[in-house]
Amino acid sequence: MNARILTLAVTLLLGVVIAMVPENTTKRYKLTASDMITEVRDGSEIISPEDLAHWIITKDPSIQIIDVRSPDEFATYHLTNAFNIPIADILNDDYVDILDQGVKMNVFYSNGTMYSHQAWMVLRQLGYENNYVLQGGLNYWFESILSPKAPSIYSSDEEIAKYDFKKGASEYFGGGGAEIQATAPATNTNKPVIKRKKAKKAPAGGC
Amino acid sequence: MGPLVPQEIIGQDWNMLIAFIIGIGFGFALEQAGFSSSRKLAGLFYGYDTVVLKVFFTAAVTAMLGLLYFSLFGWIDLNLVYVNPTFIWSAIGGGVIMGAGFIIGGFCPGTSVCAAAIGKIDAMIFLAGVVIGIFVFGEGYPLWKEFYNSGNLGNPKISEILGVSGGVMALLVIIAAGIMFWIGEWAEKKFTREEY
Repeated sequence: MNARILTLAVTLLLGVVIAMVPENTTKRYKLTASDMITEVRDGSEIISPEDLAHWIITKDPSIQIIDVRSPDEFATYHLTNAFNIPIADILNDDYVDILDQGVKMNVFYSNGTMYSHQAWMVLRQLGYENNYVLQGGLNYWFESILSPKAPSIYSSDEEIAKYDFKKGASEYFGGGGAEIQATAPATNTNKPVIKRKKAKKAPAGGC
Repeated sequence: MGPLVPQEIIGQDWNMLIAFIIGIGFGFALEQAGFSSSRKLAGLFYGYDTVVLKVFFTAAVTAMLGLLYFSLFGWIDLNLVYVNPTFIWSAIGGGVIMGAGFIIGGFCPGTSVCAAAIGKIDAMIFLAGVVIGIFVFGEGYPLWKEFYNSGNLGNPKISEILGVSGGVMALLVIIAAGIMFWIGEWAEKKFTREEY
């Protein structure tokens, strides 16, 4: 057979096949199921309320607090400087720059931890770094920061220092009154390292 | 796993080296295809030689099918492949200027370098013209800055505008290429020149 006819036939056949298969079956998700389960069990995405309170009080500029509840709930009450990305809109293109970046650290919260964890898992699957979840959500926040329970007199100095901090934080956030000033306990240095995102270079070319 | 450079599987330094090697290969292929002859390039406009059309469309079809099949097999993430933004008015303006230069000079920027490398004097003069053009554009940039940045359409794909899948678009391009090649060869027979 004529070589050009053969080439044309093969190319056309390849074209017909590619026209009929579903588009873009490229694996969009970056993590395998076993990677994911390792991360979930590891729990490295969890941020304790004390750490978060400390960062809010010290006005740490690298923290972004994201409320994944509904706008109504957000309007009723939200943490200082938090902004609202309802979980239904989490994949909206408008928020990609906030959620997928290498400059700041995002802390998600919801009432419990279900929505915040769902948001975190979806985004983690997309390969986004620097997203974290507030331990226990708002419920635990109220319990541990806004109305902390006094430790027993047998507690270690560290426990008492933590309580002192929470009392101070409670005052800062407008919870129960306390006369003790907020002093950061030594445990508040375990901030996760923000992973820098590699900048995409725009290639250019032409004839 | 791909694309390799944006995901930094290949680093920037290696990227430059690989680009250099591919560039040599590109120049070699251009020379071998006879593109260092301005008569061959001008032939496309007069219809006596349509090799340019055939070479570039074959390259486009090959790359297109390669990318789509790589994507199908999960070897490349097409979302990460850079698509040039379209500035519609400057694209049209630039296209007209480039087309005029193409007919007058008989080279496109790539082939002029190729032809200059094998010692063609007309290509060297063409290259000098290219450099003057770059200089005038660069120095006069404030004058046409507004036009240069006008009509930004983002990164559109024809398949998205037509609302068909990339695969269907590919098939249409292949069919269009086949028809163009057929017309090209018909023109070559009709407008044959003995010596050029």
